[in-house]
Amino acid sequence: MKKNMYTRITIVLFIIGLMIAVQYNTIKQPAERDTRDIWAIREELAEEKQRHSTLLAEIRSLNEVVGRYEQSEKANLQSALYQTLDRLKQQAGLTEVTGPGVVLRVEPAPELVEMGYEIKEISPDLLTQLLNALFKNNAASVSIDGNRVVQTTAIRDINGKTTVNSVPLSAPPFEIYVGTSSFKEAQKMYNSLQASTFIDSFYLDNFNLIIEEPTEHLIIPAFDQPLTNDYLTEVKKGE
Amino acid sequence: MWLPFLGLIFGLALGLLTNMQIPSIYENYLSIAVLAALDTLFGGIRAQLQQVYDDKVFVSGFFFNIILAAGLAFLGVYLGIDLYLAAIFAFGVRLFQNIAIIRRILLTKIDEKRHKRNKNSIE
Repeated sequence: MKKNMYTRITIVLFIIGLMIAVQYNTIKQPAERDTRDIWAIREELAEEKQRHSTLLAEIRSLNEVVGRYEQSEKANLQSALYQTLDRLKQQAGLTEVTGPGVVLRVEPAPELVEMGYEIKEISPDLLTQLLNALFKNNAASVSIDGNRVVQTTAIRDINGKTTVNSVPLSAPPFEIYVGTSSFKEAQKMYNSLQASTFIDSFYLDNFNLIIEEPTEHLIIPAFDQPLTNDYLTEVKKGE
Repeated sequence: MWLPFLGLIFGLALGLLTNMQIPSIYENYLSIAVLAALDTLFGGIRAQLQQVYDDKVFVSGFFFNIILAAGLAFLGVYLGIDLYLAAIFAFGVRLFQNIAIIRRILLTKIDEKRHKRNKNSIE
Protein backbone atom coordinates (compact mmCIF):
# COMPACT_ATOMS: atom_id res chain seq x y z
CA MET A 1 0.00 0.00 0.00
CA LYS A 2 2.76 2.37 1.03
CA LYS A 3 4.82 1.46 -2.03
CA ASN A 4 1.83 2.04 -4.25
CA MET A 5 1.45 5.52 -2.81
CA TYR A 6 5.06 6.38 -3.56
CA THR A 7 4.73 5.21 -7.13
CA ARG A 8 1.74 7.44 -7.65
CA ILE A 9 3.42 10.44 -6.11
CA THR A 10 6.46 9.76 -8.27
CA ILE A 11 4.33 9.74 -11.40
CA VAL A 12 2.62 12.96 -10.34
CA LEU A 13 5.97 14.61 -9.62
CA PHE A 14 7.30 13.40 -12.94
CA ILE A 15 4.40 15.09 -14.69
CA ILE A 16 4.98 18.26 -12.69
CA GLY A 17 8.68 18.27 -13.59
CA LEU A 18 7.91 17.73 -17.23
CA MET A 19 5.35 20.55 -17.25
CA ILE A 20 7.73 22.95 -15.56
CA ALA A 21 10.50 22.09 -17.99
CA VAL A 22 8.23 22.52 -21.00
CA GLN A 23 6.97 25.82 -19.66
CA TYR A 24 10.53 26.96 -19.09
CA ASN A 25 11.51 25.98 -22.62
CA THR A 26 8.55 27.77 -24.10
CA ILE A 27 9.09 30.96 -22.14
CA LYS A 28 12.77 31.32 -22.89
CA GLN A 29 12.28 30.52 -26.56
CA PRO A 30 12.61 33.99 -28.08
CA ALA A 31 16.09 34.46 -26.67
CA GLU A 32 16.86 37.04 -29.33
CA ARG A 33 14.39 39.77 -29.84
CA ASP A 34 13.65 40.72 -33.39
CA THR A 35 15.10 44.21 -33.51
CA ARG A 36 14.96 44.78 -37.23
CA ASP A 37 13.14 47.87 -38.32
CA ILE A 38 10.65 47.98 -41.11
CA TRP A 39 13.28 48.80 -43.67
CA ALA A 40 15.42 45.77 -42.87
CA ILE A 41 12.39 43.54 -43.02
CA ARG A 42 11.41 45.03 -46.34
CA GLU A 43 14.85 44.31 -47.70
CA GLU A 44 14.69 40.77 -46.54
CA LEU A 45 11.30 40.45 -48.11
CA ALA A 46 12.68 41.82 -51.35
CA GLU A 47 15.45 39.24 -51.24
CA GLU A 48 12.98 36.44 -50.71
CA LYS A 49 10.82 37.79 -53.50
CA GLN A 50 13.80 37.72 -55.78
CA ARG A 51 14.44 34.12 -54.85
CA HIS A 52 10.81 33.37 -55.42
CA SER A 53 10.95 34.78 -58.91
CA THR A 54 14.15 32.86 -59.71
CA LEU A 55 12.52 29.68 -58.55
CA LEU A 56 9.46 30.42 -60.62
CA ALA A 57 11.64 31.03 -63.66
CA GLU A 58 13.37 27.75 -63.03
CA ILE A 59 10.07 25.94 -62.76
CA ARG A 60 8.98 27.46 -66.03
CA SER A 61 12.12 26.41 -67.83
CA LEU A 62 11.85 22.90 -66.44
CA ASN A 63 8.23 22.79 -67.52
CA GLU A 64 9.35 23.76 -70.98
CA VAL A 65 11.77 20.88 -70.99
CA VAL A 66 9.01 18.54 -69.93
CA GLY A 67 6.83 19.88 -72.70
CA ARG A 68 9.59 19.36 -75.20
CA TYR A 69 10.08 15.79 -74.05
CA GLU A 70 6.40 15.11 -74.31
CA GLN A 71 6.13 16.63 -77.76
CA SER A 72 9.07 14.80 -79.13
CA GLU A 73 8.41 11.58 -77.38
CA LYS A 74 8.65 9.57 -80.52
CA ALA A 75 10.05 11.86 -83.16
CA ASN A 76 13.32 13.09 -81.72
CA LEU A 77 13.75 12.13 -78.15
CA GLN A 78 17.43 12.00 -78.80
CA SER A 79 17.71 15.64 -79.72
CA ALA A 80 15.74 16.68 -76.64
CA LEU A 81 18.12 14.65 -74.52
CA TYR A 82 21.08 16.25 -76.23
CA GLN A 83 19.64 19.69 -75.62
CA THR A 84 19.28 18.92 -71.93
CA LEU A 85 22.78 17.52 -71.83
CA ASP A 86 24.12 20.67 -73.46
CA ARG A 87 22.26 22.85 -71.01
CA LEU A 88 23.61 20.89 -68.06
CA LYS A 89 27.12 21.03 -69.48
CA GLN A 90 26.77 24.77 -69.86
CA GLN A 91 25.60 25.07 -66.27
CA ALA A 92 28.46 22.97 -65.02
CA GLY A 93 30.96 25.12 -66.92
CA LEU A 94 32.11 22.45 -69.35
CA THR A 95 31.52 24.60 -72.42
CA GLU A 96 33.20 27.69 -73.72
CA VAL A 97 31.05 30.75 -73.12
CA THR A 98 30.91 33.79 -75.37
CA GLY A 99 29.04 36.86 -74.25
CA PRO A 100 29.14 40.19 -72.51
CA GLY A 101 31.35 40.64 -69.52
CA VAL A 102 34.06 42.50 -67.67
CA VAL A 103 37.81 41.91 -67.69
CA LEU A 104 39.74 42.46 -64.47
CA ARG A 105 43.50 42.73 -64.69
CA VAL A 106 45.73 42.05 -61.70
CA GLU A 107 49.22 43.47 -62.04
CA PRO A 108 51.98 44.42 -59.66
CA ALA A 109 51.80 48.10 -58.76
CA PRO A 110 54.62 49.65 -60.91
CA GLU A 111 55.56 52.35 -58.41
CA LEU A 112 56.01 49.78 -55.67
CA VAL A 113 58.09 47.56 -57.96
CA GLU A 114 60.32 50.53 -58.70
CA MET A 115 60.74 51.22 -55.01
CA GLY A 116 61.94 47.65 -54.62
CA TYR A 117 58.97 46.19 -52.83
CA GLU A 118 58.78 42.46 -53.08
CA ILE A 119 55.72 41.30 -54.92
CA LYS A 120 54.46 38.12 -53.34
CA GLU A 121 51.90 35.61 -54.52
CA ILE A 122 48.37 36.87 -54.49
CA SER A 123 46.59 35.47 -51.45
CA PRO A 124 43.89 32.83 -51.98
CA ASP A 125 41.68 34.56 -49.44
CA LEU A 126 41.65 37.75 -51.45
CA LEU A 127 40.77 35.87 -54.62
CA THR A 128 37.99 34.03 -52.82
CA GLN A 129 36.61 37.29 -51.51
CA LEU A 130 36.68 38.74 -54.99
CA LEU A 131 34.93 35.67 -56.40
CA ASN A 132 32.24 35.90 -53.76
CA ALA A 133 31.65 39.53 -54.67
CA LEU A 134 31.55 38.65 -58.36
CA PHE A 135 28.96 35.93 -57.89
CA LYS A 136 26.99 38.18 -55.59
CA ASN A 137 26.80 40.62 -58.48
CA ASN A 138 25.32 37.92 -60.73
CA ALA A 139 28.40 36.75 -62.53
CA ALA A 140 27.42 33.89 -64.83
CA SER A 141 30.87 32.47 -65.52
CA VAL A 142 34.33 33.37 -64.28
CA SER A 143 37.78 32.33 -65.30
CA ILE A 144 40.96 33.21 -63.44
CA ASP A 145 44.09 33.22 -65.54
CA GLY A 146 42.43 30.89 -68.04
CA ASN A 147 41.09 28.51 -65.39
CA ARG A 148 37.35 28.30 -65.44
CA VAL A 149 35.73 28.51 -62.03
CA VAL A 150 33.13 25.77 -61.53
CA GLN A 151 31.20 24.48 -58.52
CA THR A 152 34.06 22.32 -57.32
CA THR A 153 36.86 24.81 -57.95
CA ALA A 154 39.27 25.19 -55.06
CA ILE A 155 41.44 28.25 -54.64
CA ARG A 156 44.21 27.48 -52.25
CA ASP A 157 47.81 27.79 -51.36
CA ILE A 158 49.87 24.77 -52.36
CA ASN A 159 53.50 25.00 -51.29
CA GLY A 160 53.43 28.79 -51.36
CA LYS A 161 51.83 28.91 -54.81
CA THR A 162 48.29 30.14 -55.18
CA THR A 163 46.39 27.68 -57.31
CA VAL A 164 43.02 27.60 -59.00
CA ASN A 165 41.74 24.12 -59.87
CA SER A 166 45.13 22.92 -58.61
CA VAL A 167 46.87 24.87 -61.41
CA PRO A 168 49.32 27.47 -60.12
CA LEU A 169 48.56 31.01 -61.24
CA SER A 170 51.11 32.56 -63.53
CA ALA A 171 53.02 35.48 -62.11
CA PRO A 172 51.02 38.73 -62.31
CA PRO A 173 49.86 40.34 -64.51
CA PHE A 174 47.03 37.95 -65.22
CA GLU A 175 43.43 38.44 -66.13
CA ILE A 176 40.14 37.49 -64.61
CA TYR A 177 37.28 37.16 -67.08
CA VAL A 178 33.81 37.68 -65.70
CA GLY A 179 30.92 36.71 -67.95
CA THR A 180 27.44 38.05 -67.29
CA SER A 181 24.04 37.24 -68.70
CA SER A 182 23.62 40.60 -70.44
CA PHE A 183 25.54 43.75 -71.26
CA LYS A 184 23.46 45.64 -68.75
CA GLU A 185 24.51 43.21 -66.04
CA ALA A 186 28.11 43.69 -67.11
CA GLN A 187 27.76 47.44 -66.68
CA LYS A 188 26.24 46.91 -63.27
CA MET A 189 29.10 44.61 -62.36
CA TYR A 190 31.62 47.18 -63.55
CA ASN A 191 30.02 49.92 -61.47
CA SER A 192 29.71 47.91 -58.32
CA LEU A 193 33.30 46.71 -58.59
CA GLN A 194 34.48 50.28 -59.07
CA ALA A 195 32.58 51.27 -55.96
CA SER A 196 33.84 48.31 -53.92
CA THR A 197 36.93 48.25 -51.74
CA PHE A 198 38.69 45.61 -53.83
CA ILE A 199 41.01 48.06 -55.54
CA ASP A 200 42.27 49.10 -52.12
CA SER A 201 42.44 45.53 -50.86
CA PHE A 202 44.55 44.51 -53.82
CA TYR A 203 46.78 47.53 -53.34
CA LEU A 204 47.40 46.43 -49.77
CA ASP A 205 48.95 43.30 -51.27
CA ASN A 206 50.98 45.47 -53.68
CA PHE A 207 48.76 44.74 -56.66
CA ASN A 208 46.78 47.00 -58.93
CA LEU A 209 43.33 45.73 -59.77
CA ILE A 210 42.37 47.24 -63.09
CA ILE A 211 38.72 46.97 -63.99
CA GLU A 212 38.24 47.37 -67.70
CA GLU A 213 35.14 48.72 -69.38
CA PRO A 214 32.47 46.11 -70.04
CA THR A 215 32.65 44.44 -73.42
CA GLU A 216 30.01 42.77 -75.55
CA HIS A 217 32.24 39.99 -76.62
CA LEU A 218 34.19 38.00 -74.09
CA ILE A 219 35.30 34.41 -74.49
CA ILE A 220 35.51 32.42 -71.28
CA PRO A 221 37.25 29.07 -71.64
CA ALA A 222 35.66 25.79 -70.65
CA PHE A 223 36.62 23.81 -67.59
CA ASP A 224 39.26 21.48 -68.97
CA GLN A 225 39.72 18.93 -66.21
CA PRO A 226 37.63 15.88 -65.50
CA LEU A 227 34.82 16.55 -63.07
CA THR A 228 35.07 14.42 -59.99
CA ASN A 229 31.94 13.55 -58.10
CA ASP A 230 32.92 11.25 -55.30
CA TYR A 231 29.79 11.73 -53.30
CA LEU A 232 27.07 11.67 -55.93
CA THR A 233 25.26 8.40 -56.35
CA GLU A 234 22.48 7.40 -58.66
CA VAL A 235 19.03 7.38 -57.14
CA LYS A 236 17.23 4.15 -57.75
CA LYS A 237 13.99 4.40 -59.65
CA GLY A 238 11.00 5.00 -57.40
CA GLU A 239 12.93 6.34 -54.44
CA MET B 1 11.31 8.22 0.35
CA TRP B 2 13.54 9.73 -2.35
CA LEU B 3 11.72 8.07 -5.20
CA PRO B 4 9.34 11.04 -5.74
CA PHE B 5 12.25 13.47 -6.04
CA LEU B 6 13.85 11.15 -8.54
CA GLY B 7 10.62 11.38 -10.51
CA LEU B 8 10.71 15.18 -10.38
CA ILE B 9 14.34 15.35 -11.47
CA PHE B 10 13.75 12.82 -14.23
CA GLY B 11 10.78 14.84 -15.51
CA LEU B 12 12.76 18.08 -15.47
CA ALA B 13 15.71 16.46 -17.21
CA LEU B 14 13.53 14.90 -19.86
CA GLY B 15 11.80 18.20 -20.57
CA LEU B 16 14.98 20.25 -20.66
CA LEU B 17 17.09 17.79 -22.63
CA THR B 18 14.52 17.08 -25.31
CA ASN B 19 13.86 20.82 -25.56
CA MET B 20 10.16 20.16 -25.79
CA GLN B 21 8.02 23.16 -26.57
CA ILE B 22 4.40 23.99 -26.93
CA PRO B 23 2.87 26.65 -29.19
CA SER B 24 2.82 30.00 -27.44
CA ILE B 25 -0.98 30.15 -27.65
CA TYR B 26 -1.19 27.38 -25.07
CA GLU B 27 1.40 28.96 -22.81
CA ASN B 28 -1.31 30.36 -20.53
CA TYR B 29 -2.92 27.00 -20.06
CA LEU B 30 0.33 25.30 -19.23
CA SER B 31 1.36 27.95 -16.73
CA ILE B 32 -1.94 27.61 -14.94
CA ALA B 33 -1.67 23.84 -15.04
CA VAL B 34 1.78 24.06 -13.47
CA LEU B 35 0.36 26.25 -10.74
CA ALA B 36 -2.47 23.81 -10.10
CA ALA B 37 -0.03 20.92 -9.99
CA LEU B 38 2.18 22.71 -7.48
CA ASP B 39 -0.85 23.54 -5.38
CA THR B 40 -1.91 19.91 -5.30
CA LEU B 41 1.61 18.83 -4.48
CA PHE B 42 1.91 21.13 -1.47
CA GLY B 43 -1.61 20.20 -0.45
CA GLY B 44 -0.51 16.59 -0.47
CA ILE B 45 2.55 17.32 1.66
CA ARG B 46 0.42 19.25 4.12
CA ALA B 47 -2.11 16.41 4.33
CA GLN B 48 0.69 13.93 4.89
CA LEU B 49 2.05 16.02 7.77
CA GLN B 50 -1.41 16.36 9.28
CA GLN B 51 -1.87 12.63 8.85
CA VAL B 52 -5.01 12.99 6.77
CA TYR B 53 -3.36 12.05 3.51
CA ASP B 54 -5.49 10.04 1.13
CA ASP B 55 -4.05 8.63 -2.03
CA LYS B 56 -7.26 8.88 -4.00
CA VAL B 57 -7.85 12.48 -3.03
CA PHE B 58 -4.33 13.41 -3.98
CA VAL B 59 -4.20 11.81 -7.43
CA SER B 60 -7.75 12.74 -8.38
CA GLY B 61 -7.17 16.28 -7.08
CA PHE B 62 -4.04 16.58 -9.15
CA PHE B 63 -5.67 15.76 -12.45
CA PHE B 64 -8.97 17.40 -11.65
CA ASN B 65 -7.37 20.68 -10.61
CA ILE B 66 -5.24 20.82 -13.72
CA ILE B 67 -8.18 20.13 -15.98
CA LEU B 68 -10.37 22.59 -14.11
CA ALA B 69 -7.75 25.34 -14.28
CA ALA B 70 -7.11 24.83 -17.97
CA GLY B 71 -10.85 24.59 -18.58
CA LEU B 72 -11.45 27.86 -16.76
CA ALA B 73 -8.77 29.58 -18.77
CA PHE B 74 -10.21 28.14 -21.97
CA LEU B 75 -13.69 29.30 -21.06
CA GLY B 76 -12.35 32.73 -20.13
CA VAL B 77 -10.79 33.15 -23.54
CA TYR B 78 -14.11 32.49 -25.24
CA LEU B 79 -16.14 34.64 -22.86
CA GLY B 80 -13.72 37.52 -22.99
CA ILE B 81 -13.18 37.39 -19.24
CA ASP B 82 -9.77 36.76 -17.79
CA LEU B 83 -11.02 33.77 -15.85
CA TYR B 84 -7.53 32.37 -15.56
CA LEU B 85 -6.86 35.17 -13.10
CA ALA B 86 -9.45 33.55 -10.83
CA ALA B 87 -7.58 30.27 -11.03
CA ILE B 88 -4.23 31.96 -10.42
CA PHE B 89 -5.68 33.80 -7.44
CA ALA B 90 -7.29 30.71 -5.93
CA PHE B 91 -4.28 28.50 -6.41
CA GLY B 92 -1.86 31.20 -5.32
CA VAL B 93 -3.69 31.81 -2.06
CA ARG B 94 -3.96 28.10 -1.39
CA LEU B 95 -0.32 27.59 -2.20
CA PHE B 96 0.68 30.19 0.37
CA GLN B 97 -1.71 28.79 2.98
CA ASN B 98 -0.48 25.26 2.46
CA ILE B 99 3.14 26.30 2.69
CA ALA B 100 2.40 28.32 5.83
CA ILE B 101 0.74 25.30 7.45
CA ILE B 102 3.63 23.05 6.45
CA ARG B 103 6.05 25.55 7.99
CA ARG B 104 4.15 25.68 11.24
CA ILE B 105 3.90 21.92 11.51
CA LEU B 106 7.59 21.56 10.87
CA LEU B 107 8.39 24.26 13.45
CA THR B 108 6.27 22.49 16.05
CA LYS B 109 8.00 19.22 15.29
CA ILE B 110 11.42 20.77 15.69
CA ASP B 111 10.36 22.37 18.96
CA GLU B 112 9.09 19.06 20.28
CA LYS B 113 12.33 17.35 19.37
CA ARG B 114 14.35 20.00 21.17
CA HIS B 115 12.17 19.67 24.28
CA LYS B 116 12.70 15.94 24.28
CA ARG B 117 16.45 16.30 23.99
CA ASN B 118 16.53 18.86 26.80
CA LYS B 119 14.50 16.59 29.00
CA ASN B 120 16.82 13.68 28.25
CA SER B 121 19.89 15.70 29.09
CA ILE B 122 18.38 16.95 32.39
CA GLU B 123 17.49 13.45 33.44
